[in-house]
Amino acid sequence: MTRILLYYRGFAALLCLFAAMPVMASSFRVQCPATTTLHPNAPVLDVLGNPIEDPAHPGFVKCQEISGTDGFATMGDGNQIYLFGFGALSGRQSIESGLPGTQLASVFNTTGSANAGSIEPAEIMNQGILAANAPGPMMSIDEDDEFFLTLSNVGMIMRPDLFEQHTVHFHGYPNASSFFDGVPDASVAINIAGSFTYYYTAPDAGTYFFHCHITPPEHLQMGMEGQLYVRPRQNRLAAGTDLGTALLTANKKNPGADGVNCSDILCTGQTPLPAAAIATGTSGVAQPVGGAKYAYNDGDGSTRYDVEYPIQIMGFDPNFHYVGMTFNPEAFVDMKDKYFMISGRSYPDTINPDPISTLGADGVSRISQPQPTLIKLAQGQKALLRISDLNITEFHTVSTVGIPMTVIADSARLLRDMAGNNLYYNTNSITLGGGESMDVILDSSNVPKGTYFLYTTNLDHLSNDAENFGGLMTEIVVN
Amino acid sequence: MNYLKVNKLGVANRMICSALAIVGLLCASTANAEVPGITGTTFNLVASADFTSQPDGAMIYSWGYGCGSTPSFLPAPAAGSAGPAPTCPTMQLPGPTLIVKEGDTITVNLTNNLPAAAGNTSIIFSGFDVKASPVVTGPTGAKAGLLTTEAPVGSTVTYTFVAGKPGTYAYYSGSQPELQIEMGMYGAVIVLPATPAVGCATGPFSLAASAYDHAATCYDREYLFQFGEIDSRIHEQAQAQVLACPTAPCPQINVTIEPYRPNYYIINGRSMPDIMDTSYSANYAHQPYNGNPHIHPGEKMLMRVIGQGRWQHPFHFHGNHARVLARDGNLLLSQFDPTKLAGPLEFTFPTVSGQSIDAIFSWTGKGLNWDVYNHKAGDASVCIPDTNGYYTTASGAPLTAPNYGEWCADHNKPIPVIAPDPQIMANGQWYAGTPYLGIQTSNGGFNSTPLPPGTLNQNGPSTEAGYAYMWHSHNEREITTNDVFPGGMIMMMLVDPNSWFIDETL
Repeated sequence: MTRILLYYRGFAALLCLFAAMPVMASSFRVQCPATTTLHPNAPVLDVLGNPIEDPAHPGFVKCQEISGTDGFATMGDGNQIYLFGFGALSGRQSIESGLPGTQLASVFNTTGSANAGSIEPAEIMNQGILAANAPGPMMSIDEDDEFFLTLSNVGMIMRPDLFEQHTVHFHGYPNASSFFDGVPDASVAINIAGSFTYYYTAPDAGTYFFHCHITPPEHLQMGMEGQLYVRPRQNRLAAGTDLGTALLTANKKNPGADGVNCSDILCTGQTPLPAAAIATGTSGVAQPVGGAKYAYNDGDGSTRYDVEYPIQIMGFDPNFHYVGMTFNPEAFVDMKDKYFMISGRSYPDTINPDPISTLGADGVSRISQPQPTLIKLAQGQKALLRISDLNITEFHTVSTVGIPMTVIADSARLLRDMAGNNLYYNTNSITLGGGESMDVILDSSNVPKGTYFLYTTNLDHLSNDAENFGGLMTEIVVN
Repeated sequence: MNYLKVNKLGVANRMICSALAIVGLLCASTANAEVPGITGTTFNLVASADFTSQPDGAMIYSWGYGCGSTPSFLPAPAAGSAGPAPTCPTMQLPGPTLIVKEGDTITVNLTNNLPAAAGNTSIIFSGFDVKASPVVTGPTGAKAGLLTTEAPVGSTVTYTFVAGKPGTYAYYSGSQPELQIEMGMYGAVIVLPATPAVGCATGPFSLAASAYDHAATCYDREYLFQFGEIDSRIHEQAQAQVLACPTAPCPQINVTIEPYRPNYYIINGRSMPDIMDTSYSANYAHQPYNGNPHIHPGEKMLMRVIGQGRWQHPFHFHGNHARVLARDGNLLLSQFDPTKLAGPLEFTFPTVSGQSIDAIFSWTGKGLNWDVYNHKAGDASVCIPDTNGYYTTASGAPLTAPNYGEWCADHNKPIPVIAPDPQIMANGQWYAGTPYLGIQTSNGGFNSTPLPPGTLNQNGPSTEAGYAYMWHSHNEREITTNDVFPGGMIMMMLVDPNSWFIDETL
């Protein structure tokens, strides 16, 4: 049974911050149960502080808290831009390091920890107001996890005329329930000074993303988007386990599945067994000692990588953002992005290893764009690029020079036919529109050491507004 | 009605406001036909001009294909049907959907009834080997064009082709296409398999049992979505030049093709909310086709998607992935085992200009770890898993069971979170009042504030109570109608409980 650890309401003093708000009390309420029916035991930690998985109850309870808020970001030409966005209310230390903010329930609930969730209404307001990030706090979970995501709507203080709800839409999530799908027209949406906790399992590994679904052409243009990915259970196999055998076993847990073929046309919870493993049930590829990281439950090790870089393609129209701060009707037909970004930054900010801060309207500087995307590989390593596109106006082509890309997945699904043959392809360019994702592996094995580029070949997007330089580009460094 | 202006003046709730903007434009229950069109082996089409309507009240001067004689409608209207009668006017957007059978020789007689200034016109049948009627010398009759044989104004050209293989195809003008397609001159051809695959059963409103001659392409329901966009300034310029030259000879129409600035984004010729209204509704005399998809849990929906505009429109369908079956009518099979499909699983289609995609969508609710039907231990509810883990006929479920198709592994499991205070949540117009699928007698404690009085719920809590999902362009500015949100390329797809009859009767 779910245990609600923390429940606060009636914090009337906050009302002075939002004199115009019609609600009579705040209803912030953060939910992060230590245990659940699926995970009845709190994890035991090893000597390094890492949780030990309970084989009878695989996965963990994980939690994250974000604010729906506004704020400011710094563009590649140095200009400030106004945002509607999500801010980190938990996992802040991880977020500020450019990492996912998702935490074990035990970490989230440890008061005073640098990655703990904000529980008290005053803290939620203090940490939430003007703290929008571009993109929003990154999320990552593993298959078999349960994920409690609390969205606390702290209002948009620069726009006291608005009474906007916010939501979280897990984009591309399989078999979504309408209730937790975040579409306000089809579900509920949380008002200012309230919290809503979304509940998700992690049924299929892949590169997803999330965004607010209130008035999408406005809230997405204004910055309410972020990265989300699910890691495969293949990562957690014991050393020596044959990857093909493990996939066969995992597939068979689906009723009616023979483990080789999918039991339904969408391969729900399954991955076709690699063709090479069908005859014997083994792939001949074993989990190495010390573990390995894979993008998908490939069963053959073909999606193994050494380093991963979430890459979110974004675009901002400064005119729209200006209008968005100034109480005027917004134009959608003439929306024209002028800042083209990777994970909230244009080149050369993309290779700045530090978080970027921006001075807010209250004179306080806050971290606004925490994610560098400088791709670093030791020669011979493979990098997984989790590429998602959440710009809302145009298609973008992203290219590499010097290092070919191998596309291994589209829409968070391994490119493999239903007979088990990998349909990966090598390319120097991929094209995505808003709402699409692809997984790409860069293999530096035969690549001379040096600096290479990942950039858009929509060449007019290599600019930062009036600055004829920059835009959607970052560097790939092979050492 | 400028929704944004209203909102910025301080109306409290943006979502409800947007809902109110839609109220009264939608019928609560619609008569549809899944993929309405016309059928036969000979089609007498005309190209002519008329006006199409947009939800902001704009009447857009358009050109399009229509019927020159009374066609055979498919599906045929049911006897005594109360719904609007099928129509095929002389101009419609998109043009009539031509539903033909694999192997048939198809003849299309196209008569050019466009205004004099429009000049010649024609049809490209993408994906077919087309033979056109002989070119005639003299003032009337077919003329050689750049891409295909054309009909001058007042003349007729005949195209014949063999419908060689099943699938979904685009047809569109091959004459001054940068203008004529923008003006609305496009449509779809659907080729049904001559012998549907063994083991597939035809759904009650489907055109066939399978999309292709292949057992992996069975489907239960089908919908056709044609994506396009309109730059109304081009239409205004064209209209002015048409009016300026009532009789031939006329100079070729010359409009501003670039910069392109579309302000209407349409699926099947309509914008949200009109798109969800009834097919053949008299409200849209020249836009007969709707887009209002429904499905029951576990069913397979065949999505037929065509990019008919100049721009790509990333089509994101909430709810689940879809398996791509084919592109441009070419079934994608494994090179190593042709009994298996090879198309990718996607949650967003790129909707490439001129390209068609056939795909299978499905939804079961598997793996959520809570009971979407709101069962509780001891409530006498039943969920007996079949071989695949669902409560179906195979495990003794009556077709009328409200939880037909339930994923039994999650039976009786409560939602693992506690709902927020109902006073601080806003409800949507397609929210049936509870987190659950189907009609509920209790809401498990998940109270919420009802919609404001007077708001028409599009998903009746005591009747339909489905799960609603937004299917839309993810270049999000395209879900607007001439600067107004909501509009443009949005449909709401409903996963309905099996006990709700999805009535697609004409």
